Amino acid sequence: MSFLILSQILNGFATGMLYALVGVGLTLVLGVLNLPNFAHGTLFAFGAYFTYTVANLTDSFYLGVLIGPLLVVLIGFVIESQGVRRLYAAHHDYQLLFLFAIALILQETVILIWGPVGFSLLPPKFLAGAVDLGFTVYPKYRLALILFTATIVVALYLMLTRTNVGAILRAGIENREMVKVLGININKVFLFTFGLGAYLAGLAGGLATPIWGLTPTMGFDILPISFVIVVVAGLGSILGAIAAGILIGLAQSLTTIWWPEAANVVIYLIMGLTIILRPQGLFGSR
Amino acid sequence: MRDRNIFLIVLAFVVIGPFVQPKVIITEMLIFGIVAVANNIMIGYTGMLSFGQAMFFGIGAYVAGLLLKAGMPLIVALPVGTLFVLVLSIAVGYFCVQRTGLYFICITFAFNQMFYFIAYSWTGLTGGEDGLPGIPRPSLLLDPVAFYVFVAVVFLACLVAMKRIVDSPLGLICQTIRENPSRAAAVGYNVKLYKLTAFTIASTFTGLAGTVYAMLYGIVPIDQIHWLKSGDFIFMTLLGGTGNFFGPIMGAVGYIWMSETFSLYWARWPLIMGIVFVVVVLYLRGGIVELIGKVYGSIQRAREAP
Repeated sequence: MSFLILSQILNGFATGMLYALVGVGLTLVLGVLNLPNFAHGTLFAFGAYFTYTVANLTDSFYLGVLIGPLLVVLIGFVIESQGVRRLYAAHHDYQLLFLFAIALILQETVILIWGPVGFSLLPPKFLAGAVDLGFTVYPKYRLALILFTATIVVALYLMLTRTNVGAILRAGIENREMVKVLGININKVFLFTFGLGAYLAGLAGGLATPIWGLTPTMGFDILPISFVIVVVAGLGSILGAIAAGILIGLAQSLTTIWWPEAANVVIYLIMGLTIILRPQGLFGSR
Repeated sequence: MRDRNIFLIVLAFVVIGPFVQPKVIITEMLIFGIVAVANNIMIGYTGMLSFGQAMFFGIGAYVAGLLLKAGMPLIVALPVGTLFVLVLSIAVGYFCVQRTGLYFICITFAFNQMFYFIAYSWTGLTGGEDGLPGIPRPSLLLDPVAFYVFVAVVFLACLVAMKRIVDSPLGLICQTIRENPSRAAAVGYNVKLYKLTAFTIASTFTGLAGTVYAMLYGIVPIDQIHWLKSGDFIFMTLLGGTGNFFGPIMGAVGYIWMSETFSLYWARWPLIMGIVFVVVVLYLRGGIVELIGKVYGSIQRAREAP
């Protein structure tokens, strides 16, 4: 039993790190642009499908994960510069409806291009197979995934806390008007943030393909989870999004041991508890 | 235009509609008309945007459907379904109104997905992915004309009830909260309580519409509780226009008409709907109501100019 629990904890970390990537992306856009990005899930799906296509064309999973998410960034740039930018002055309701519409359009586009049937993608040869950890035999790819995403998350955190760009983004979350007044081109900041959010969603999608496979609805499935992460984390908290992502990944995979059907519901219980006990979120200040 | 005149136009639509278009489609327009108007009690009057109204529509439909399947009469199934949604919306709303703005949207959205997953996993009760089929209609309503008359009566009764609510002191307090929540609180109104009340009222009417929907096709598809449906509800309300009590009805009519038309021609019709949403957001903010207002205004001006 304890072996099962230990390997489920590892699984939870693998899932949780992917959730953290998606959650940080959504948090950045929500914090800096003050937008609920309903297209975030479909960007995740596009990341997976682009990775799949590039990996098949070049015969290299690594190239797929490298190039796939960058193509998603291009989509993000188009959405921000052609649509979202015109709506900053508009009411929340319309921004939300716009992003919902983009989600619908992208979702249907996935089905148009790749068809309604899902695919699977094998991990690269080097990472295929399993390794004996002593207490359990564990897939190599998942271990590599945990390490790689942990590196990305740490790098991202350092970028946000130690660099000028990061300072501008954090300032944007705190007070957008002030950033503008200080003479920083806020349009560029918004474009960069949206692109970064899209990249993180796309990267998570690409990295997830060997574990979860590809289905056209994968974007719609992850979207609510990423919103739960934001609520649990506290609006605009990067550290919170990382912690909440891991927490929810762990909770899901541990629930699977005892009651698999409830695994999808337990994350909402965590959200409910957070709202009661700590309405501002785990790491939120407002 | 005066409210009474608009009401007469709505009445004319209800009477003439089924002679021009198939009764099923008009019936659907009326059911979703209730939802869109109820949604506007939150969006237009109180200034809260819920992205989770499909959960109440779906749960209303499931509860009423299950009761009808169990052989309960209409007079039990519909009120019990609606009451169930009323109680549930108080519980869910309690959590949601703790936060405002973006947070509120996120929480309602997440709760919607929670109930979707419950409906999806609890296959023994809800039929899961396949939906809940085989819901009988009471023998009195088997005839399509009789059913249409029934839905029309429910629709008009709901309209009158909601109109009275938004014109009441409660409705005014809601508008005060929309305009300035902190001032409303300073004057002594319990903002959270009134928001919860608006949330509950809107959700209950949405649930009532769901109970009627269960009888329309005799099946509750799982889509009816998916968060995409919540987005459609918001679209209906915004397409009609939030500035007028009756506006969202036009949104519901327009939405049903478009989805019925597009889905005939292309399996990927939600793509077209998405494009329509974008056009509305970029060029038709204020909805059909504003469009009519503009046209009406320019005709007036043309008349006045000699």
